Amino acid sequence: MKRIEVKLSLGVVAPLLDVIKAVEASLEDELAADLPMEQVDVELRDDWRAELVSEQNGDVARLLALFDSDFFASGTVAFDEDNADSILKACAAVRLRLRDRFLDQISDEMLERGDVELEELDDDDRRAFMCYLFLATVQELIIEHLESGILDS
Amino acid sequence: MTINQAQTSPLPTVAAETDVALEGPWRVVVLNDPVNLMSYVVLVFRKVFGFSDATARKHMIQVHEDGRSIVWCGLREQAEHYAFVLQHWHLTAILEPNETD
Repeated sequence: MKRIEVKLSLGVVAPLLDVIKAVEASLEDELAADLPMEQVDVELRDDWRAELVSEQNGDVARLLALFDSDFFASGTVAFDEDNADSILKACAAVRLRLRDRFLDQISDEMLERGDVELEELDDDDRRAFMCYLFLATVQELIIEHLESGILDS
Repeated sequence: MTINQAQTSPLPTVAAETDVALEGPWRVVVLNDPVNLMSYVVLVFRKVFGFSDATARKHMIQVHEDGRSIVWCGLREQAEHYAFVLQHWHLTAILEPNETD
């Protein structure tokens, strides 16, 4: 099984984990982003949403589980074909929530271009944006190195 | 969608190839969002629909530039399934009746 190990800076990543944990707590019974479900049968809608929430929360828990005592000892996290799907989806969910909760003052165009002035953000928003970028980097790493395994799974 | 390497790399020529049939009473439409990476959206399209890389990129670019792309059409039950799976991947997927039918 293909596997990649990534060495991270504890000093940089540790504060971002608090952001992810705060997002996880906020997601308890909510989707990261509202989804339009007007065309979904009313009877099906609640079950549909509940399953999405359940999988989303499982994915985010799996993301946070990467940063365990081994990570704090070694600074290393590992991605493989078993966890790649979950981690990719978890990163997407947390990024969507961060955009909704902390980065909503940034225009879509600026966010898409990454054209954000960090100095203009307050401390909480700056940390949220750093977390947003960190999770994008995680996604890019997984896609770059594990794409074939993800497509075959 | 968010700029990343996928946008700065030259786009492959989209050859005339057979897409998933875009005919049927219901369609699955993916809407643009400013968060998900282009490379992520391409990956999801390839995984969910089995698109070639070129087809997945064509739909991703359409989402990015036009705000939406019809990625599948067909019977309602299958359309619901695809929309559900895309929403699992946190793409904004909606169902629409195919008014051209």
